[in-house]
Amino acid sequence: MEAARNTLQEKSAHREQGNTPAIPGCFENGQPILVEPDSDFVRRIGRRSGDAFMKCMQCGTCSATCSLSSDVNPFPRKDLAWARWGMKDRLLRDSDIWLCYQCNDCSARCPRSARPGEVLAAIRQECIVNFSAPSFFGRWMQRPQFIPLLLGIPVALLALALLLVGPIEDALGITRSLDGQILFTYSSMFPHWMLNSFFAFFSLLTLIVVISGILRFWRAMKSTIPRERYVNPARGLGASILSTLKTVFIHDNFDQCTIARPRYVSHLCVFFGFLALAAVSLWVITAKINPMVRGDFIYPFGFLSPWKILANLGGIALLTGLVLMMWDRFRNDELVGPGSYFDWSLIATLSMVVVTGFMTEALHYLRLEPHRHLAYFVHLVFAFTVLIYLPYSKLAHLVYRTTALVFAEYTGRTSVGGVNGDNLLQRDTIDAEEQTKAVAK
Amino acid sequence: MEDKIGVFICTGYGIAEALDIEALCKVATDEYNVAYCKTVESCEGAGLKAINEDIKSEGLNKVVIAGISPRQYRENDFPQEIIVEKVAMREHVVWCQPPNDEDTQMMAADYIRMYIVKVQKAEPVEPFQSEETIDKSILVVGGGITGMTAALDTARAGYEVRLVEKSDKLGGWLAKQHMSIPTKPPFRELEDTGIDALLAEIEANPRIKTYTSSYTSKISGAPGLFDVTLSSNGNGTSSEMVDQFRVGSIIQATGWKPTDPRDNLPYGKLDNVILNVDLEAMIKEQGRITRPSDGKEAKNIAFIQCGGSRAKEHHSYCSSICCLNTLKQALYLRGQGDDAKAYIFYEFIRTPGQFEDFYRRVQEDPNIYFTRGEVAEITAGDDGTLQVTAKNTMPGEQIRVKVDLVVLAAGMKPNSADGEMIRALEEAKVTVKEGESDIQRGEAAKKVEELKHHEGTEILNLGYRQGPDLPALEYGFPDSHFICFPYESRRTGIYPAGCVRQPMDGLGSRQDAAGAALKAIQCVEMTSRGEAVHPRAGDKSYPDFFLQKCTQCKRCTEECPFGVLNEDEKGTPLLQATRCRRCGICMGACPERIVSFKDYTVDMVASMIKAVVVPEEYDEKPRILALMCENDAIPALELAGQHRLQYNPFVRIIPVRCLGSVNSVWVTEAISAGYDGVIMIGCKYGDDYQCHFIKGSELADYRGENIREKLQQMSMENERVELHQLQINEYYRIPEIFENFHKEVIEQFGMNPFKGM
Ligand code: SF4
Ligand code: SF4
Ligand code: SF4
Ligand code: SF4
Repeated sequence: MEAARNTLQEKSAHREQGNTPAIPGCFENGQPILVEPDSDFVRRIGRRSGDAFMKCMQCGTCSATCSLSSDVNPFPRKDLAWARWGMKDRLLRDSDIWLCYQCNDCSARCPRSARPGEVLAAIRQECIVNFSAPSFFGRWMQRPQFIPLLLGIPVALLALALLLVGPIEDALGITRSLDGQILFTYSSMFPHWMLNSFFAFFSLLTLIVVISGILRFWRAMKSTIPRERYVNPARGLGASILSTLKTVFIHDNFDQCTIARPRYVSHLCVFFGFLALAAVSLWVITAKINPMVRGDFIYPFGFLSPWKILANLGGIALLTGLVLMMWDRFRNDELVGPGSYFDWSLIATLSMVVVTGFMTEALHYLRLEPHRHLAYFVHLVFAFTVLIYLPYSKLAHLVYRTTALVFAEYTGRTSVGGVNGDNLLQRDTIDAEEQTKAVAK
Repeated sequence: MEDKIGVFICTGYGIAEALDIEALCKVATDEYNVAYCKTVESCEGAGLKAINEDIKSEGLNKVVIAGISPRQYRENDFPQEIIVEKVAMREHVVWCQPPNDEDTQMMAADYIRMYIVKVQKAEPVEPFQSEETIDKSILVVGGGITGMTAALDTARAGYEVRLVEKSDKLGGWLAKQHMSIPTKPPFRELEDTGIDALLAEIEANPRIKTYTSSYTSKISGAPGLFDVTLSSNGNGTSSEMVDQFRVGSIIQATGWKPTDPRDNLPYGKLDNVILNVDLEAMIKEQGRITRPSDGKEAKNIAFIQCGGSRAKEHHSYCSSICCLNTLKQALYLRGQGDDAKAYIFYEFIRTPGQFEDFYRRVQEDPNIYFTRGEVAEITAGDDGTLQVTAKNTMPGEQIRVKVDLVVLAAGMKPNSADGEMIRALEEAKVTVKEGESDIQRGEAAKKVEELKHHEGTEILNLGYRQGPDLPALEYGFPDSHFICFPYESRRTGIYPAGCVRQPMDGLGSRQDAAGAALKAIQCVEMTSRGEAVHPRAGDKSYPDFFLQKCTQCKRCTEECPFGVLNEDEKGTPLLQATRCRRCGICMGACPERIVSFKDYTVDMVASMIKAVVVPEEYDEKPRILALMCENDAIPALELAGQHRLQYNPFVRIIPVRCLGSVNSVWVTEAISAGYDGVIMIGCKYGDDYQCHFIKGSELADYRGENIREKLQQMSMENERVELHQLQINEYYRIPEIFENFHKEVIEQFGMNPFKGM
């Protein structure tokens, strides 16, 4: 025991000499930080991550397992310690939580089943609530009881917009005969100019929220690292953004996950599907002012229009990705995590967008009245939902993760993947495990 | 009565295939003229029955059976008065030597010779019977959880118990607890201490007689015959005799006291820095936790673990209970409001066994914060709060927390006294007064200074020559054979239990109490039958001192590890037979060779040594005598046999009770009989000794000086005598030890020139 104690003391001496780089952000004005734990935060993180992170014993297996964590910034271990100590401020300012892709390699390996992957996800959720103003939207997004309210808002707004241009029946192609019977007449589609300006307006609002979120987040992250602590000779901001975008596009961080390999495929599908649909939508909304549009802009597109083809392909990719994600969560919840409400709500909303989109399309080509209008309305409601809640929903990771990645590049806090050999090794063992499991079955 | 010896040689177990049985029989009948030599087919069932029939029909009174090892007999029903010696022909010869070899046959023949001589010299054993009747009641010293449990357990088993408590009421630390840590599955919630029920049960038990405010002012005698005098604690100076009675055995459950916390923490300097025991007392008394400085309710508390434990400056052992205690106290605090926060700084959290579940349960509380870390500083704020700075914590290199109270986890020190040291102090004091030279007096004065802290620490006040209390180890825990027999102490019939023996929690104390109760009962029962207790449990022989020839050298009284021998004024040993463990260390110590057992004497072993036929020098067949301890070395040798390890054919083995029982005369006898060397193999000694008689192998080593002197007189090389320490699992080393001795010693120094003289 004496010997053990000595080595421990040596270790701490070793640490004191600064051989292990300091965890940034633990000193304030040269004083050790005063910790005043936020126990509600602790409770919330617990609730959202399966109430297991209290079991963490700080062994560091998770950090060692994580292919994205570096020796310098050993997440998720340190984040679990901060979370357990209710150090909300510090966590929200920590860019590391966004370096994690929640592959859950760490959760699978954690000897205490503390679900570190889920904990980081819960912290990211907190981060979104915190930086996207106004924050009550974020809070509503966390709870199922707010579904009616959250869906009611786009329904009401859309309906209001339609009412503004005429009676709702007109929009839906409904007329009443004199004796009160409802007749369906063949009417024009929803007025485009109206829809376009409506969506454009709300896109702009969303953009403002996003930008203000990014700025606040950036400032918060920066406050944790003094300039002289940047590790690499810091890159220029432009270069950092470029390399980050590259990383995001080719999904190479996802590629490093071992246990949740299927996530790479599903996320790639969703990502590009979403991008394709967003591009088509943008094209449509901005058609009036788009100098690239020559001649008459005909909408809806014909079935063979390149835009329609892109949209359809995007829709298919998105749907495939979403189905894969759901499948993973059901089948493999030990490894991928069962998914939180936050996570499921985005999957569900996006699925509704695609499904109603395809329905509208089918009904449109079948010229089924008024069903196609009804479907279109529903589709618009969901598309609108996705748009206006982007900064508050899980979709906001698009914004914050990218920002954090740029920050990490910029300050040299890059997520350096583990040594490649290590990774291969891990993959092999896991493959072997899977195989034995399969054989056992 | 004329001896009638029968020799039986077993032909089973592959013995007949490896040896010439007829030739062996010839050795017995021709060389020793034994009445009778016969073969039997096995050492069990029909074989044993045949032997028993022959004993009856031939009127044999001494029997040698050459077959399997005595340890391997499944049945053992020979008539009481018959002396039976079993030769491990299978384990010591057949399994370890090539079959039908000349040397193997010689070895077997030598063993036949040795054991015939052994039975010739042996006398029937009669158990020790005290003139007075053995008392079977039990004294429990200390009325805490261990003492109370031990008293109840013993009483429930039907024995009379006297329970003595120094303070004015029973309960000890248990009575000072507000609540108890969980003691049963699922180990999650705090429990009532159960003290009231325990007290009521003791009160109601007619077999338990309780004395409070009393202490044992004198205990004389021996197991079964302890005469106890109780005195009242009195008011400091005067103390009166309370009672006098006799008991059979004693359980010492004197518990623990808190250690002083580490010096670098401002305990005693800041009001709001307190000990865990203070906090317990506070909540027990007022039902809530407040700040001593202003009586305000404490909302935030920092607990600092290992207050005095696991530190070189204090004691390096873990007190084993303070972590659990802190977890418990953190839950007390959490009961004081939803915003109450506990911060726990530890180096390791130690929650042995099932208590891990309790730890996890406490971890689930979001307002209890754990971190490993070293507390670097505690400073006082002006509003009565304290700021604790810790380094190397898990949330960061350094953090600070603001708290109302800092609680230090004081560790445990045993409430014990070191009998040997107290005696050494007394002796030194005498020397200071009566010493012969200035130097001697000066040395003694230094010693007095060094040992002064033992002054007045007596607890049991035993009337033992070797000191008034149990011999203790470095930190004051009573010495025992910790590895195999933790309950034992070095005073037969006195069993330390609970925290005085080793730091432990309440649950552990109860279990320990039950263990000690069983030991105490076992002791009185075996003593009443004249049998030894551990480790020679059931041995009925005991040492006999032929005092007419005693020179009062005091070696035996000094060296007996169990303090058996008292002395009269002249220094003549006074045997207290029921204290004796029958190790024979006194027999090995005595220069006059006047100590003997009926079945184990200096002369007997010397005769066995001489019975071996030593070939002439030019035969190139050396002889090596191996004296091996029966406790570990002999079982290890059997293991070697079971693994069929082959070893040197020139070794002749004699089991001894303990290396400490080896009398140096055996070595000189062996050398003059022509042996080329002597190997002694015993248990490990030193701080982590495994010697079953505590000091036996160490004494053998220490007495080696004596042996070397004798060798020198005979102008023999010192190297011809070796001592090895062997653990039972190191059986594989045995062939190597023998072989190396042969190669390195005998080949280097040549054969013994005394051969054939
Ligand atoms: S989350 Fe699990 S793997 Fe990571 S440090 Fe805690 S116990 Fe270890
Ligand atoms: S029980 Fe805990 S606090 Fe007590 S000495 Fe052991 S490790 Fe230290
Ligand atoms: S040395 Fe051993 S045999 Fe001799 S008196 Fe002491 S305990 Fe008994
Ligand atoms: S060792 Fe022998 S001679 Fe010395 S005191 Fe003991 S019995 Fe007497």
